[in-house]
Amino acid sequence: MTRYIIRRLLSAIPLVLGIATIVFFAVNLAPGDPTLYFLSPGMTQDVIEQMRVNFGLDQPVHVRYLRWLGAMLTGDFGYSISHSRPVLEVLMDFLPNTLVLSACALFVAFLFGIIIGTIQAVRQYSVMDSSMSVVLLFFYSMPSFWLALMLILTLSLFARNVWDLPIWFPASGIVSVDYDFLTLSEKVRDRVMHLVLPTLSLALVLTAGIARYMRGSMLEVIRQDYIRTAKAKGLSEAVVVFKHALRNALIPVITLVGLYIPVLFSGTIFIETIFAWPGMGRTIYDAIFIRDYPLVMAGTFFFAIMVVVANLIADVLYAVIDPRIRYE
Amino acid sequence: MKELLKKGLIGIGTVLGLASCGGSDGRIGSSDPFCQQVLPAVEAFMTQASEAYPTPDEPRYGGTVVLGTIGDMPDGLNSAVSSNYSDAQHQQFVGLMTLINYDARGEARAYLAEDWEVAPDGRSITFQIRQDVRWHDGEQTDAYDVAFTYEAVTDPLTAFPNAAFWDHYVKGPDGVEVIDDFTIRIRLEPHADFMDPFRTLGILPEHLLGDVPHDQLKLHPYGTQCPVGNGPFVFAQHIPQDRWVFEANPAFPEALGGRPFLDRYVYRVIPEQTTLLTELLIEDIDVYIAPRPDQAQQIIDNQNLELLNFSGRSYVFVGWNARKPQLADSRVRRAITIGTNRAEIVEAILQGYGQVANTGVPPFHWAYDPESMPSLEYNPDRAKVLLDEAGWQDRDGDGVRESEDGTRLSLSIKYNTGNQQRQDIAEIMQQQLGAVGIEIQPQVVEWGTLLQQINTPELRDFDGVVMGWVVEFKLDDIDLFHSERIDQPYAWSGTENLEIDRLLEELSITADRSEAMVLWKEYQELLIEEQPYTYFYFPDRLEGINRRVKGVEVDARGEWLNIKDWYLDPASR
Amino acid sequence: MSDRSLAGRRRWRVVSTVLPGLPQVLMGRWGAGWTVLLTWLGCLWVVMAHYERVVGALGGGWDQNLALGTLVVSLTLAWTWSWRDVSGSDESKDVGVSQWDLAVRAFSKNRTAVVGLIVIIGLYLVALLTPLLAPYDPTFQGDLITERYVGLSATHPLGTDNYARDVLSRLLYGARISLAIGFVAVSISVSVGTLLGAVAGFMGGIVDAMIMRFVDIVISFPRLVLLITIIGLFGSSIFMIVAVLGLTLWPGTARIVRGEVLSLREREFIQAATALGYSKRRIILRHLIPNALGPVIVAATLGIGNTIVLEAGLSFLGLGVQPPTPSWGTMVAVGRDDLLGAWWLSTFPGLAIVFTVLSFNLVGDGLRDALDPRLRT
Repeated sequence: MTRYIIRRLLSAIPLVLGIATIVFFAVNLAPGDPTLYFLSPGMTQDVIEQMRVNFGLDQPVHVRYLRWLGAMLTGDFGYSISHSRPVLEVLMDFLPNTLVLSACALFVAFLFGIIIGTIQAVRQYSVMDSSMSVVLLFFYSMPSFWLALMLILTLSLFARNVWDLPIWFPASGIVSVDYDFLTLSEKVRDRVMHLVLPTLSLALVLTAGIARYMRGSMLEVIRQDYIRTAKAKGLSEAVVVFKHALRNALIPVITLVGLYIPVLFSGTIFIETIFAWPGMGRTIYDAIFIRDYPLVMAGTFFFAIMVVVANLIADVLYAVIDPRIRYE
Repeated sequence: MKELLKKGLIGIGTVLGLASCGGSDGRIGSSDPFCQQVLPAVEAFMTQASEAYPTPDEPRYGGTVVLGTIGDMPDGLNSAVSSNYSDAQHQQFVGLMTLINYDARGEARAYLAEDWEVAPDGRSITFQIRQDVRWHDGEQTDAYDVAFTYEAVTDPLTAFPNAAFWDHYVKGPDGVEVIDDFTIRIRLEPHADFMDPFRTLGILPEHLLGDVPHDQLKLHPYGTQCPVGNGPFVFAQHIPQDRWVFEANPAFPEALGGRPFLDRYVYRVIPEQTTLLTELLIEDIDVYIAPRPDQAQQIIDNQNLELLNFSGRSYVFVGWNARKPQLADSRVRRAITIGTNRAEIVEAILQGYGQVANTGVPPFHWAYDPESMPSLEYNPDRAKVLLDEAGWQDRDGDGVRESEDGTRLSLSIKYNTGNQQRQDIAEIMQQQLGAVGIEIQPQVVEWGTLLQQINTPELRDFDGVVMGWVVEFKLDDIDLFHSERIDQPYAWSGTENLEIDRLLEELSITADRSEAMVLWKEYQELLIEEQPYTYFYFPDRLEGINRRVKGVEVDARGEWLNIKDWYLDPASR
Repeated sequence: MSDRSLAGRRRWRVVSTVLPGLPQVLMGRWGAGWTVLLTWLGCLWVVMAHYERVVGALGGGWDQNLALGTLVVSLTLAWTWSWRDVSGSDESKDVGVSQWDLAVRAFSKNRTAVVGLIVIIGLYLVALLTPLLAPYDPTFQGDLITERYVGLSATHPLGTDNYARDVLSRLLYGARISLAIGFVAVSISVSVGTLLGAVAGFMGGIVDAMIMRFVDIVISFPRLVLLITIIGLFGSSIFMIVAVLGLTLWPGTARIVRGEVLSLREREFIQAATALGYSKRRIILRHLIPNALGPVIVAATLGIGNTIVLEAGLSFLGLGVQPPTPSWGTMVAVGRDDLLGAWWLSTFPGLAIVFTVLSFNLVGDGLRDALDPRLRT
């Protein structure tokens, strides 16, 4: 197993480099370049050429590629054209925000999913089972941005202006404007309040998938002999479910974490736009449109690494759990 | 079960912990060495200044205004390299100072320059700089700052985006002479609206940026990470893609009004318009810049809010590529314009917040005179006649006209993704022009790709393109229509008309307004006949504000024009 | 239950002539029964309520011919099936209950799954019959001043949009686009994914490693960059979108199938097959894949819904199906700006997406429960 892990890690290196290369050429192939965005009347071709030189775009693609590669191997990811700062700094500014959001969403999604899936399995074919399926699928079928907007309208706008509720959630941002002037406990509360709507928007969509896998997994486990034995022994249902079945049913579901991480990262871009959340998704997306090559490359690079690691974790977990699976 | 609970709680705790310390905040957020040097000096001086100039004991002083808008400020206060509207507004009115600014009638008045004198032959201007203005780190603002800024923006290495401003100025060090610490002379050729560039150019600090090579100004951290200015507001913080925070400058000259009423001004970036409206409605933001016309009614309906609107400096048009055979004849272009019910489109798309445009001279401009122009009203019958005259008839009965050699009058109109108004225009034109026998195919293209397609001289891959233009008080269409510029990026229309050339050249150098007025009239009439563009409308700029923000004036000069005079209703604080 | 006497059968036949499907419903087989009955009634209603349009559609474009054809075929099928079902002898039904029959029976008992199936069939019928049903042309713009943003009304049951186009008509035409996109993209991704996943799982070793590395590359590849480049280079078209969606979604299926196959591979029946000397191709195609189908079906049904929702996301970013072609995703994305003012623009296509996806998933669930012997108690 260890050898397998090491082999996977080693093979990840050419993988990531391969992706980076493909993306580099793909982005450079796309028509347009950053200077277009700074175009203004009176700018002659020479000025534009000058800009290109300033950005280091005057050289042919393969030369730029090699320079980028060389710089990257030494840890220099270059300068972001649209942010006027080193790319690494830009990423470090935005990455934590996205990570926090993703982590919370994953956590909430798995929490809800596992609980609901378990209940569904234990009460298979009952009204509760069917109705929960319907409700979950209802949320699953909504585009996340629509759900986000709905949540803002109901829990933010209507809650405050129309229904006069004592609590309403902020409609955007990670912290309030006067965050710096709050006490520590108020700061924590502020952050949590700002997290609620974005997290729900991301998590509710995932919950359905997780709940279904959990339901299926739980159903399989419940039919095992050892569960029947436990029941025959006279143990209460709650004990049986939680102590024996749940733990075993949880295992394949946990491997889903690896699968869902990339999904989560690509999903954040809608949420970040709607909730004005300064995160990676939006940054990379904007960078693609404005052809900020260094930023796009670095973002892709990190994204690819994260996905590879997540997949590796998922595969390893899967094998550890199910002893029937062997890797050579 | 207990284990699960324990794990759950640990999970929540970790997440909360991460949440509390993740993300960027904190005052001196920049790790750039330049900024780390510069910002402490600002703090020190500001502490000193607030003691030296205490806040007057008047109820209007105090409070924070939060303003929300869609875009961030990409270049911040770096006036040598920026071309974004928000950037420019903050350079002119918030963080920096310009030599002059305009009053409500468009007349120049003193600002950073306390006086100026134009030489009798019109070939130089001598500015007297105020002596009571200090940079936010304590240094005196003087003529060397102006000289530095002028040299930087006229140097092609800097790639100053609005290079057209300086067309008739003597560029580089030859164009500017420092006579003494507070007197400076600038050389130029006489031309129209020559003072306008000094209204928009924020003066930059020579003592901080003087050593930076001009070709590195664009990427310098000054603009977005530590812009030290001398304006009414001091830069406090910038969290990228999230917000900018500015604080009142206690050392702002008394003669110009002293420190602003507001203690703090926060610029929030919110990229989604529904969210912006929600934030305004729940009073989380006080000002919403540029809501959509469809959102205006909700702002009006809300008692706590007010809708401001003014005629802006932009116009929307469809540019025609006269290089294409179908569009080479001006009669075809005129037929297209009168075959489109533009008044209806404006009413529908802008909900009345805008005016139909027939030329590129917006309502705020002194040369705006629609009454004296030939009419371009919606007249599909006349359009059909024009097309017939130009030789385009429906010869095969398929509803689309062809020329004698069989070319179909089928045109594509391109517009960029994500812009609902431009899409509206293209699609409505498709419907309406179909009725006069012209087939229109709207084509949406991603913004960067579109720019490349229309701006690359060898390419010009388009028939029609829906575009918008923002103009300054100095109006100059030379880059658009002059035949000598036909191979430069902005000559989309491919116009080659000697009369237009002559008028453009003359307009450019005629400083006297009464003379110029005649020329403008001629030019506009010619433009209408030539129809290189189908001009659509001059949209109003809208603004939603909370009624607790008082004293806000807005007009063509911009939304931020008197931000230093805004104050909050004391009862609301 | 069924009255199998000759008189009884004649009675059912009479009923079946007028209302095919009703006998089955009354007999308790209400899965099949309701499907047929509703199809019959629905098609009849179309013919009667939209008679002029049906007649006018004769000799129209391929669109309308397709609709007419669907109408005729559905009516015929429904009537014929019901007739033969009540007429046929019952003995043949008791001989040899196959795996498939068992599955069908189990499926029919699952009410929600059957409801889902009926909805899906209804959706596809509606999509095919749209030219006869839609009250307006989906691209027709009414009077821009007076008819924009009209709410629910008699002339426009679901309102109009910002171009004074009828939302109901756009919804109906949008069904075709969205359903087609979902179906095709998922077909591509499921086929490719299942095949590659099975091969990887069964062969193991280098083949497995290579395929999984390929999977990793595709998963890690930022779809957005690819989309923008492709759309920038080739212009955006539905074909491109479907291709990109299909070709980037298959890794999920591949991993699932591979996981299943890895487990199955160690089972006795596979080991037996190997011992018997069956070719690898035969084992993969005839033994492994059919048994791994359970999760694949779940993945496929989830996938169709996922794709429709993804397309909405792409429209949000400006990269989806381009106007004026209506698709549910585009309608939701475009309508989001008017949520506070003209809520109907996003809501109805949104609901359409929800119910479609719901149905596909209920059917998928039902299929999986029906096919998996372990889950049938």
